[in-house]
Amino acid sequence: MAGAVASRGCRKIRGTEIKELLESKHNLLFDCDGVIWNGETPVTGAPEVVRLLKQQGKRVFFVTNNCTRPRENYVQKFSRLGFTDVAEEDIFSSAYCSATYLRDVAVVQGKVFVIGCYGVQKELQNAGVTIVEEEGDGPDVSIYNCPLDPDVKAVLVGYDEKFNFMKLAKACCYLRNSECLFLATDPDPWHPLRGGRVTPGSGSLTAALEAASSRKATVIGKPGRFMFECIASQFDLDPERSLMIGDRLETDIRFGTNCGLSTMLTLTGVSTLEEAEEYKGSDSPEKKDSVPDYVVESIGDFLEALEE
Amino acid sequence: MAVSKCVHLSGPWVKELLGSVDSVLFDCDGVIWRGDQVIPGAPEVINSLKNCGKRVFFVTNNSTKTRKMYADKLAKLGFNASEDEVFGTAYCSAVYLKTVCKLDGKVYLIGSNAMRQELEAMGIQTVGVGPDHISGVQNDWANVPLDPEVKAVLVGFDEHFSYTKLNRAMQYLFDPECQFVGTNTDTRLPLEGGKAVPGTGCLLKAVETAAQRQAQIVGKPSTFMFKCVASQFGLDPNKCLMVGDRLDTDIMLGSSCGLKTLLTLTGVSTVSDAEAHQRSGCPIRQEMVPDYYVDSIAEILPALQG
Repeated sequence: MAGAVASRGCRKIRGTEIKELLESKHNLLFDCDGVIWNGETPVTGAPEVVRLLKQQGKRVFFVTNNCTRPRENYVQKFSRLGFTDVAEEDIFSSAYCSATYLRDVAVVQGKVFVIGCYGVQKELQNAGVTIVEEEGDGPDVSIYNCPLDPDVKAVLVGYDEKFNFMKLAKACCYLRNSECLFLATDPDPWHPLRGGRVTPGSGSLTAALEAASSRKATVIGKPGRFMFECIASQFDLDPERSLMIGDRLETDIRFGTNCGLSTMLTLTGVSTLEEAEEYKGSDSPEKKDSVPDYVVESIGDFLEALEE
Repeated sequence: MAVSKCVHLSGPWVKELLGSVDSVLFDCDGVIWRGDQVIPGAPEVINSLKNCGKRVFFVTNNSTKTRKMYADKLAKLGFNASEDEVFGTAYCSAVYLKTVCKLDGKVYLIGSNAMRQELEAMGIQTVGVGPDHISGVQNDWANVPLDPEVKAVLVGFDEHFSYTKLNRAMQYLFDPECQFVGTNTDTRLPLEGGKAVPGTGCLLKAVETAAQRQAQIVGKPSTFMFKCVASQFGLDPNKCLMVGDRLDTDIMLGSSCGLKTLLTLTGVSTVSDAEAHQRSGCPIRQEMVPDYYVDSIAEILPALQG
């Protein structure tokens, strides 16, 4: 198996097969929502699985498109849900990676106009990236004559529960300058909330801004490669010894494929086995790249393999 | 009869073209006015056409005004026109919901007061117009109470567009029985004074992406706008001329309905845009090639007055 091109087989595995797979992988990259937790409820067995993996010397990373929290808040959530020893440096969120991109890759000299929630803004502040102050616009300000900041060098769009027409119009004005960068935290059209509910995602806001500006955003989150490059630049990762575990075919699994990792779909979240099988039979390259190598019911199934 | 396309309309062809039609449909922005500024000669053209016995209609994707508001603006700018000659998407969406969707229920409306008025005039109740901001914590607004009488979501231009509205629309649209209609897909809305802001198309993209559904579109180039006019006035497509400034909406509508088409260069599209479509092998792009073009509609005035 080692060195061979992984067959995109959608192979459902448990027990010994999981054990063998884990033995061949040193780095495990977990998505969060729908994989290790759902809302405020950990997936059964997940905290124990993470603890055992670390105990056995594996490196464990968390790679999430969810930009609603800064990493320091994620650390608190991990702890609250019973995951021990998860440090900030293990967590790669799209907000953190967007800030890293702006600071280290784009090396933006100037301000960033942000359409984004607290999580996005805090990560930018943590990275020392200057954002445009969003004063509550006074009564004289309308969509027809809003003041623009001349120092804006980039626009970043992510999940924003305060998104409104004014922000869309302002961002569009900034993007008329072709030198102004256009970034999006992630492409997710909607995000799952606890209880099976759903809320509009960064992807829907990005779609509005792309239509308004006739420009395409550079998307930081999965399935784009940047989050992996971010991890790899801080830690030494061999893709062949790495496994991506996620619940969304178009983001997590495609991300894994794009980065040359083995991929595993867990069925405790968004995508179903039927969808994965359907993608397997598809002619579309994007769908083919979204077919996982392996499938498990839940990462709780790892316990059997790890506890032996 | 004209086999050649994209010809500069001049000389005897103007009279020949006008003689071959009994109705002329005009787009508004970029054709007869720009914001609140009239295109020089435009009122004279419209008024002369009527004096020559032609019927004139105004067909616009702009959803921010009722027919009455358009009639008032037309009158103010010197055009001899009446309410029933105006077909904006606020009015046409109401007709669409009634006649095509056969709507029996309320509409969750992301749009203007003008849209609400046109829908109510057609006996359709709406919810949602006006500001709607986030309040409380995520748990509250994620649990939006849905009105069980809402049977359709309609999206038009809305300067109060917000995440909350996007969320509500998405929640309604999870019911596959709930109809999903958009006024138009234009990504820019021209304003008075020559500026532009993001258009309905942008808001629609946000809702379509979140709900993972495609809206039915009322406005150009959808043929519904022409059918709306034609059914009320008994128009023969062969005897109609569509005059517009956008190849992808006005001209495309004209071509797909079998109308003659005239591009005016006082707005968005250019002759080289049209020629590029003509050179491409693509059948869809061929529909965006006008029969004729003029620098401004004022160019047809001499033929009307002669």
